[in-house]
Amino acid sequence: MLFLMFQLGRDRYVLETGQVEAVLPLLTAKQLPGAPAGVAGAISYRGRPVPVVDLALLALGRPAEARLSTRIILLRYPSGPGRDDLLGLLVEQAVETIERDPADFITSGVEAGMPAYLGPVASDERGLIQWVRGEALLSPEIRDILFRQLQAVP
Amino acid sequence: MSAEAHPMTTDDIVECWREIGVSGDRSCSELEKHLHCRNCPTHAQIARRLLDRPLPAGYRDAWTQHFAARDETAPEGEEIDSVLIFRIGDEWLGLPTAICREIAEPRPVHSLPHRRSEAVRGIVNVRGELLICVSLPALLGIGAMSSARGTDRIAVFPRLVVTGEETRHVAFEVDEVHGLHAYRAHERIAVPATVGRAAASVVATMIAWNGRAVGCLDAERLLALIDRSIA
Repeated sequence: MLFLMFQLGRDRYVLETGQVEAVLPLLTAKQLPGAPAGVAGAISYRGRPVPVVDLALLALGRPAEARLSTRIILLRYPSGPGRDDLLGLLVEQAVETIERDPADFITSGVEAGMPAYLGPVASDERGLIQWVRGEALLSPEIRDILFRQLQAVP
Repeated sequence: MSAEAHPMTTDDIVECWREIGVSGDRSCSELEKHLHCRNCPTHAQIARRLLDRPLPAGYRDAWTQHFAARDETAPEGEEIDSVLIFRIGDEWLGLPTAICREIAEPRPVHSLPHRRSEAVRGIVNVRGELLICVSLPALLGIGAMSSARGTDRIAVFPRLVVTGEETRHVAFEVDEVHGLHAYRAHERIAVPATVGRAAASVVATMIAWNGRAVGCLDAERLLALIDRSIA
């Protein structure tokens, strides 16, 4: 299975490529006033508003650095029953994909108290890689706020 | 987005390939293992650091405008497909990327005794795996392979294409491989009646590419045809 790799701080994380619609360069996002913490704003993708979550801000408490390697991953996100919306993830070091067997990923043993989006881990010669569950990235409340607010934006 | 607006900052990059690598005195101890700097993980690591540069002036706004514009040529939700484009004789054909396994250098084909089928050329060794090599011109009934070089291009290299499902692989020789080409569903054209004989049953659609019509092979029908020919 093919995974898209990115970094939060010094650690490496992967997303399943099946969920990824596209990888965009760093775009200027329109601010969404009153949006929950971690939301960088909204971008226009082919005329369609897409909310962008800054994963560095969400996980590390600092915004992602403006570099060429910082990119926006467009994720197909289940926003409601039987409905998919696009969600942008602002991540650093999105420059690599890896081919791994999903069975290589084993539970890290510290599931309790961790954010719901962090999944099992796999190891390679450089250390551990953690699987990020795209669908668990937003809490239901934030998800409702985000997609409701965007539908109000003309 | 011009390079002049924000020149590459190469100050902190150690150019080891120019000092001890292939462009230097070749004294690097890793060279023995990797043969060339381009195979070396250190070289790849340095290359990746180029992506850690700050954004050039205007980069962000230019891309924001680019992605904000509606893509008129691509209706929402339209299927995107991709094929490997290659040439046999005068014919340009497309192999669905899903069944394209590997493209290798041509190598000797060992003929099989007591096989006089035109479609089966013999056995090839691809990285230790013995694969049956079929002749696509014979299978499709199209013009024979030619080694004639294109006059307008500098060099043309014959290649061996490995195709097949997950486990069962088959190889065939082509005169030239262009590469992968992505196209959208509306670009498909019906196959003209002039496409001859066996080819018509395997060529599913045509697409326009580079001023030529490329016949895209149907994955299922092609593999079934190959299976029948080697049975």
